[in-house]
Amino acid sequence: MIEDITFVGLGIGLLLMIVPFFFLSKYRTGLLRPAMGGTARMIVQLYLIGLYLQYLFEYNLWYVNLAWGLIMVLVATGTALQRTKLKPTVLAVPMFVGFLSTAIIVSIYFLGLVLGLYSVDGAGLTLTTLFTAQYFIPVFGLLLGNMLGVNVVALNTYYEGIKREQQTYYYMLGNGATRWEATAPFLRAAIIKAFNPCIANMAVMGLVAMPGTMIGQILGGSNPALAIKYQMMIVVITFVASMMSLMITVGLASRKSFDKMGRLKDVFED
Amino acid sequence: MLRIRNLSLSYGAQNVFRDVTFDVHRGEIVCVCGESGCGKSSMLKSVLGFVDAEGDIQVDGIRLAETTVDEVRRCIAYIPQELSLPYETVEEMVRSPFALHTNRHIVFSEEKLMSDWRMLGLSGDLMSKRATEISGGQRQRIMLSVAGLLGKRLLLADEPTSALDEDSTLLVLDYFKMLAKERGIAVLLVSHSPIIMAGCTSCLHL
Repeated sequence: MIEDITFVGLGIGLLLMIVPFFFLSKYRTGLLRPAMGGTARMIVQLYLIGLYLQYLFEYNLWYVNLAWGLIMVLVATGTALQRTKLKPTVLAVPMFVGFLSTAIIVSIYFLGLVLGLYSVDGAGLTLTTLFTAQYFIPVFGLLLGNMLGVNVVALNTYYEGIKREQQTYYYMLGNGATRWEATAPFLRAAIIKAFNPCIANMAVMGLVAMPGTMIGQILGGSNPALAIKYQMMIVVITFVASMMSLMITVGLASRKSFDKMGRLKDVFED
Repeated sequence: MLRIRNLSLSYGAQNVFRDVTFDVHRGEIVCVCGESGCGKSSMLKSVLGFVDAEGDIQVDGIRLAETTVDEVRRCIAYIPQELSLPYETVEEMVRSPFALHTNRHIVFSEEKLMSDWRMLGLSGDLMSKRATEISGGQRQRIMLSVAGLLGKRLLLADEPTSALDEDSTLLVLDYFKMLAKERGIAVLLVSHSPIIMAGCTSCLHL
């Protein structure tokens, strides 16, 4: 049985934030107010989501869960657009499609094939168990969180690279490269920058970094052997989803990002 | 090979150049010259469709348009000004244009490359160097040799001798002459160098 955290306990825990707040203030980073605001927002948002999820878990209707997943994708797309400073007219639809299709494909693969959350009876194959709130919503959220971070870094690096290194891009096109060939060095740089931290983290997992899923499961009462299996799968699906969503977004966005002569349009917000 | 008629370029209200007409035939070297900001580099970029100029541009009989731009670019080898390529080694820098889909039919010959490097005053051991270990002048000449080996019908070079001393500029001029005469390439280049201007077939003053 997991130990509950009382409100007093939560308060004592939050007191720890005094340490970073002190240094943010002492070195005049300008980050004190955003950090305090962020902490307050986190507390309120998590409480509200907690309440909402309780209802969601209680009713556990597959279509409501799917609708909630869709809202999560919309919020993730909006947040990513804000953080990339790229024009929504160029990236909103590709990113939304990239996030949604990847999250659905990878969730179904993991929940259906790996966890076996489907049923076969007289009525045939039933997939609604895939969308059980307890599994579908956390997995969807986890995938979106990771896709969001990777896409922001990669898309910024990709488009800024093409804009900054226009000569290189034109050199490639001017020597007969297709647009895909000419953008490949920039996509490569974007992938390296976005995925290097994930790969480094994966390599030290369990030794230096104690991953959240595993810790959460162990604290929640699972045995470590089960927790590591989940952790492994979580790392795999987040890595795969991040790459898939990035490729889909870049592929779909290319038509709106470049003109017919292959030149990069003005994709950045003013 | 290159036919330009009534080409004009303006940025907003500012005219860069107006009604420029000229041809570059096979075996000719035409140098675009003029003051800074007169649109020399833009002239080359307009041939490649990177700049929206008004007028008629034809490369090897193909009129430049949205539907033909890829075909036009396939006829061209292009060396931009002050290029820093994302390659780690000189070998990668040299070989990468030959790996492009459109150039795969061109056989890369290291022997031919070395022969061209000798003409350009480059030593063969540069091939094993890292891209960061070579000078700007060496990079310019390496890119020029690659463009020469691609064997395209039209070569566009933007300030190909800007980082070179007089002796090396003379070698580059001889190399251009060899490309034009022996390989039948039409060369359109931008240069401030009096040596290049004096040695080319004709100069186009903007």
